[in-house]
Amino acid sequence: MKWLRHPAVHWLLALVVGGVFLYACWDKILEPRKFAAIVYQYQVIGPSGTLGFLPANLLTVTLPWVELVVGLLLVTGFWRREAAAVAGALLVMFLAAVGIATAQGIDLANCGCFSVDEHGGRAAGWMLVVGDLALLAACAVLAFLPARRAEPVPAGAPATAH
Amino acid sequence: MRFWRMIAIVIAGMGLGLAWNASSGRGFALARNAFLRPGDQLVEIPASEAKTRLERGALVLDARGWEFYKMGHVPGSLNLPMEDFENAFKKLEPKLRGSYDIVVYCAGYGCEASHIVVRQLKEKGVHAVILNEGWPAWEDAGYPVREGEQP
Repeated sequence: MKWLRHPAVHWLLALVVGGVFLYACWDKILEPRKFAAIVYQYQVIGPSGTLGFLPANLLTVTLPWVELVVGLLLVTGFWRREAAAVAGALLVMFLAAVGIATAQGIDLANCGCFSVDEHGGRAAGWMLVVGDLALLAACAVLAFLPARRAEPVPAGAPATAH
Repeated sequence: MRFWRMIAIVIAGMGLGLAWNASSGRGFALARNAFLRPGDQLVEIPASEAKTRLERGALVLDARGWEFYKMGHVPGSLNLPMEDFENAFKKLEPKLRGSYDIVVYCAGYGCEASHIVVRQLKEKGVHAVILNEGWPAWEDAGYPVREGEQP
């Protein structure tokens, strides 16, 4: 699995994951009320009689911007390992939310992953879980298998056979 | 990997989000329903109050689509779907203008239809309040429900 540590592989993974996060945050930032409607539908952190609106509203206004920061860091390569770790944590959170909502019998016609349009977006289902797991795997590589540095070969060193 | 950087990423994102919510004009009050707009003075009531009002003769309106209405609705309620507001309003207008206590509900916390319908009713001079959490609150409270096309 040495190739997983290749710098080019890391750049590719970071661009893909970062690109997905940047694409995902855009609609939610521009249409926070529509995104709130989707967060409310999950019924994981309210709104409810006991929790009120605050936890769900806080998530609605802050989550897309955390996605934006993570996306920008991943595509620029700055603080890449930490950005990938945060992205992975977000993906685990998304999977948990979909799992909890589904277990409660809530049918999410739009998962709120990318589009917040009432008649658009993807439904929460197996494809969503598979996609999230693939991104999570990429995040794990970026966070825990740091790319090896390109080391200059010392002059006169014998070529090593691989 | 440095843990403080992860914390910094999350805090930066949250700070930007709160700043955008406060300054972009697209934001909303964090402690209230996001569907409420500044200055629109809509009234939200819990299911228990809706039931009391219904028993006292309030008119209840279902803002969901006809298909949902048929699957189950508040007994006595009339269907005024957000998607077909103008047509449905014309049919119900005499009844609406003759009622002084109107409660509107839709499919729950993620459903904005009751807020939109109450705003549209207000424009037409009809005052109505919103059943907080809508249909699920009514159903979960164990209040009577009715299936089919009859109110």
